[in-house]
Amino acid sequence: MAAPRSWALWSLCGRGLSRVMPGCTIPGLRSSWPRSPLGARPLSQEKRATETHFGFETVSEEEKGGKVYQVFESVAKKYDVMNDMMSLGIHRVWKDLLLWKMHPFPGTQLLDVAGGTGDIAFRFLNYVQAQHQRKQKRQLRAQQNLSWEEIAKKYQNEEDSLGGSHVMICDINKEMLKIGKQKACAGGYKAGLDWVLGDAEELPFDDDKFDVYTIAFGIRNVTHIDRALQEAHRVLKPGGRFLCLEFSQVNNPLVSRLYDVYSFQVIPVLGEIIAGDWKSYQYLVESIRQFPPQEEFKEMIEDAGFQKVTYENLTSGIVAIHSGFKL
Amino acid sequence: MATLLRGALRPLRAFPGSGRLAADVPLRATSHGAGILYPEHIPTSPLQKALLAAGSAVMALYDPYRHDMVAVLGETTGRRTLKFLRDQMKRDPEGAQILRERPRISTSTLDLGKLRSLPEGSFGCEYLRFLDVNRVSPDTRAPTRFVDDEELAYVIQRYREVHDMAHTLLGMPINIPGEIVVKWFEAVQTGLPMCILSALFGPIRLSARSLQVLVSELVPWAVQNGRRAPCLLNLYYERRWEQPLGALRQELGITEPPVRVEGLV
Repeated sequence: MAAPRSWALWSLCGRGLSRVMPGCTIPGLRSSWPRSPLGARPLSQEKRATETHFGFETVSEEEKGGKVYQVFESVAKKYDVMNDMMSLGIHRVWKDLLLWKMHPFPGTQLLDVAGGTGDIAFRFLNYVQAQHQRKQKRQLRAQQNLSWEEIAKKYQNEEDSLGGSHVMICDINKEMLKIGKQKACAGGYKAGLDWVLGDAEELPFDDDKFDVYTIAFGIRNVTHIDRALQEAHRVLKPGGRFLCLEFSQVNNPLVSRLYDVYSFQVIPVLGEIIAGDWKSYQYLVESIRQFPPQEEFKEMIEDAGFQKVTYENLTSGIVAIHSGFKL
Repeated sequence: MATLLRGALRPLRAFPGSGRLAADVPLRATSHGAGILYPEHIPTSPLQKALLAAGSAVMALYDPYRHDMVAVLGETTGRRTLKFLRDQMKRDPEGAQILRERPRISTSTLDLGKLRSLPEGSFGCEYLRFLDVNRVSPDTRAPTRFVDDEELAYVIQRYREVHDMAHTLLGMPINIPGEIVVKWFEAVQTGLPMCILSALFGPIRLSARSLQVLVSELVPWAVQNGRRAPCLLNLYYERRWEQPLGALRQELGITEPPVRVEGLV
């Protein structure tokens, strides 16, 4: 990374550090800060770096991956039902809005990471199929002076109904992928999608492969978010777009209070009653609180090399869509 | 590099006092060590208990195979009754001994080999036969989670573990009519709201014929026996394996069931 840019970021961080924690007493950090911004990290930071959060618990980084895997393994079967119950169906609108923002055209290569049960992928396929059909209708209308034989031949032509679009669904959890495949069969989605088992921090794809990278409600469960963002940057083609749909900080204090009460009082109860699993849903609501707010996440995306990074708040900031381009 | 610094800062920022959490957000007790009274305990607020009680009641009716919902209903609605049961256990000498020694019934605490070697007709032998015939194990009881008192949590755990003993003493199988009869018995004995609700609403899904038999013969018999017998929680079953079942029934005042329940559905 370029030295001048990181110096600017470090100094920004220095100001930010004292703003966030006025009573901070990390030994060695404050004193060494203004003198050697690019110097070695002090020891206390080293020790803390191997620990991370799992909801409101503190666990080691090795443990977190395994624990998150267990959570999603246990919730997989009831994942969609619980999403509807917890968000009162609003999650469908959020996902539709993500697709709207994406505006994919036929021929787009999409990588949907943490896409387990396929919600984004299926919406993408529906969208490009509808686009493709509209394009074909327009073409036919423009060719009004064709003979009947030629028109019939056009209809008989077994064309790819998706116009070359393809979605790769990648998830680290086998159970979630299994549920997604079952849904695909049930929904009749046969062409244009592939299921891959993979880790967002280390994607099994070559560089510069995809037009769009999406991660919906998945990135907060990743142990090293920065690595996931760097991988996203790597696998996107130049000109490719990064889109992230994730729970974020609510900007309205009244909504925030209601949201907190609802999250902590009602959601684990719903998890217990519907799925028989209190602890997984407790983890889910806690992990939302641990995720960085919109501006901070935007800076993390910029750090990974994306440009023109913007975000849009939905439902008073309960959810935010972050978007960036690899240029 | 800047993000690595932020990563280090994040666990500190999440602690209370950072202003990101509202006052009534229950912090997960495991991370702070406070509020957990026994290993499986999940501390809950009154609102959560009310929601759990309502939700579990609906779910238990909707899907009778959700035994965990019946358990949750018992835990969230039984606080006053559990206190009463605990106090009356303390007054009884055998009950007080149980409270002191806290015996548990599971495949690890039961000596199944010894039970199998007991003579035919003894309580231990009949209990084992009940487990084999109905293909159940004492390990399927869910642990208590939502009771906010360690001793009361034991009382309800003991109630669950001796539920199978009640089946053996009454001679009831574990089909739905059998369970309802045992629930009526337990409702009269313990007064737990969960037993009363199950006893009243359980029969909703039964056929008319079973309902008829239940109402006319089995339920009055269960209620009568329930009133006559001393509280089943006061019996130290672990010391009574060798006692013949007939003698134990006589001691408790439990008579034979008036009809066979196996055929009912």
